[in-house]
Amino acid sequence: MKNRGLAFKLILLVLSSVTLIFLLIFGYNYMYSRKIIIENVEKNAMNLARATVNQIDIVLTSIEKVPENLAYVLGRSLCAGEELNDLLKYIVQNNKEIYGSTVAFEPRAYDGEKERYAPYFYKSGDEIKYSDLGTASYQYFFQDWYQIPKELNRPVWTEPYFDEGGGNIIMSTYSVPFYRTVEGKKGIAGIITSDISLSWLQEIVASIKIAKTGYGFLISQNGTFVTHPKKELVMNETIFSQAEARGDEELRRIGREMIHGESGFVPFRSILTGKLCWMVYAPLSSSKWSLGVLFPQDELMADVVRLNKIVIILGVLGFVFLLLVIVFIARSITRPLSVLAGAAEDIATGNLDVAIPEIKTGDEVGKLAQSFDYMKTSLKQYIADLTETTAAKERIESELQIAHDIQMGILPKIFPPFPDMPEFDLYATIEPAREVGGDLFDFFFLDDEHLCFNVGDVSGKGVPASLFMAITKTLIKTRATKGMTPEIVLNQVNQDLSEDNPSLLFVTLFLGTLNIKDGTLEYCNGGHNPPYIIRASGEIEAVEMTGGIALGVMEDFSFQSKRVVLNKGDAIFIYSDGVTEAMNSKLELFSEKRLEGELDRLKGLPVGDIIAGVMEKIHEFSQDEPQTDDITMLIIQYNGS
Amino acid sequence: MELNVKNEEKGTLVAVTGRMDAVSSPEFDKELGKLIDEGNVNFVIDLSELDYISSSGLRSVLATAKKLKGKNGQILLASLQAVVKEVFEISGFSTIIPIYESVEEAMAAL
Repeated sequence: MKNRGLAFKLILLVLSSVTLIFLLIFGYNYMYSRKIIIENVEKNAMNLARATVNQIDIVLTSIEKVPENLAYVLGRSLCAGEELNDLLKYIVQNNKEIYGSTVAFEPRAYDGEKERYAPYFYKSGDEIKYSDLGTASYQYFFQDWYQIPKELNRPVWTEPYFDEGGGNIIMSTYSVPFYRTVEGKKGIAGIITSDISLSWLQEIVASIKIAKTGYGFLISQNGTFVTHPKKELVMNETIFSQAEARGDEELRRIGREMIHGESGFVPFRSILTGKLCWMVYAPLSSSKWSLGVLFPQDELMADVVRLNKIVIILGVLGFVFLLLVIVFIARSITRPLSVLAGAAEDIATGNLDVAIPEIKTGDEVGKLAQSFDYMKTSLKQYIADLTETTAAKERIESELQIAHDIQMGILPKIFPPFPDMPEFDLYATIEPAREVGGDLFDFFFLDDEHLCFNVGDVSGKGVPASLFMAITKTLIKTRATKGMTPEIVLNQVNQDLSEDNPSLLFVTLFLGTLNIKDGTLEYCNGGHNPPYIIRASGEIEAVEMTGGIALGVMEDFSFQSKRVVLNKGDAIFIYSDGVTEAMNSKLELFSEKRLEGELDRLKGLPVGDIIAGVMEKIHEFSQDEPQTDDITMLIIQYNGS
Repeated sequence: MELNVKNEEKGTLVAVTGRMDAVSSPEFDKELGKLIDEGNVNFVIDLSELDYISSSGLRSVLATAKKLKGKNGQILLASLQAVVKEVFEISGFSTIIPIYESVEEAMAAL
């Protein structure tokens, strides 16, 4: 999902949502229609079962009526002989439901002599046939149809049986006992029967047609199949033996309910087809038989299944259609986006001349393309401006660098500067801050004996300061000539600088002259940090102030010189405030105290080493903190003449 | 650097806090220039909270002083810390610009 395209994500999300919605609707539809169908099936099934039960009951009741009426007649009159035969023949002939009928007499009950007599009329094709069942081989006394009603003293329907030697078909018999009063005592006189052919009953039940494979069946009160489309079950199997064979506890339960005369509607697997069915069962009211009717589920659900198939097909077609639509939409969105992405990559590599494809859709993508084009143009403009600015800046920087080089170029660079003069050692260094700065130092001989030296610091930084520094250095060099004292030089330089100084720049300046013959040092301080004298004895003392002021500030200021004598081995150390005001990251200053400590530590070393030592310490102190001011140091050690 | 301007009876009291160097001094120039343009000519600068002043800072003070001189005004410095005071003394600026021990003394001297 993460690295897939927009189209893929859109398709996945929309289609999965649609599928979910479709499945929900479909599921609900299926469940609901199934429920309605089942309810209808149950209702119809019950109605059908009741109707069939009624139909069978009507037949059976009409069969029952005949022997019951006959029992009434025979109980009162001694109808016998041809009269009885005619009656029975008439009954069989005129009741299409009745297969056969007999009146089976108790011993000697017919005429007081016959041990057994049972005239039996039955249908055989279109004829009515007669036989006497009172034969030694038939032994009707021991037949169920005779024995059970006699013992129970009431009419009964027998279990289905094959009437061998009688009707010779599978039948069930309704037997009604009749009574006669002999010598004042009422006793059973015989059994009147009417038979029903099970194949005929089968026809009635078989007339129940439900869908293609639905069917009905009857079981007797023992659970024996009375009718069933599967012929071999009839009389041979009971519903319980089937339950046993199938290991079906549910069927056993259903069977029990059926023989107990209950009715119900249950799911059931057909014995005949093995299909899942619903079965409705209901008792007959005449006999204690029970009717079961099976409704094959798949056939009843065929409609809803077909409907669902159509719905699914429609769903799939809709799904495919939607897929195509989304793909189309996604493409129409992503195609310009891909083109834009390609252009963006080109731009990212620095090609700002790439053409942004024109997208005239007017939608968000179109606006994006416009913004993109605008961005490209702006970027191009910006880069052009930047290039120009950078070029200008580089030019200025290179010019500043040149200015810096020139500025450094006018300072003395060769040490020792006077190698053939053993009277003194001189060393100086300047470490400019990054920009062009305003520190200066210089030294030169006024005559054979007098060495003039100076260290100055112009206020501020940058080009103005460096120009001012160059002017100052030049003015000093011009003014400091043979015979001049430091105070005269400073008075004149101050006058020159102050006369026309609109930018109010000023320079602090320490200027001295050393007589290399006797060590006399005459100096004048124009607002500069007081230098130190490092005595050969080890003492370090600050040079006395002369009450001067920075040059360029006040016209007509009168500077005063002072004088100090350097003995052999004494040195003077002059510095700019870049030394004492070097800063570390905690904004602490290097300070005079640290400087004095360093001079004390380094005294006695060669002059170059002293300056290098102090510089090293300053670097150590300020660490990575950027240098903000020029650092200048100059030292002269007098060695005697 | 921070500037705190307060109008007192005899003049304008400007308290400077922090550092006056090449970076911050132009702000001092600008602020004081504005005050001068508004008609203030007598200033006491309270430097009790000024920790450091560079040559650029000196130049700003000097420029202000020069500007006020032309307008018959004055600028007095008060309560300088030792480090700052040393800078004024070494450079000799203390001879041009009066320095007082306290703001009250400076105010009284206006």
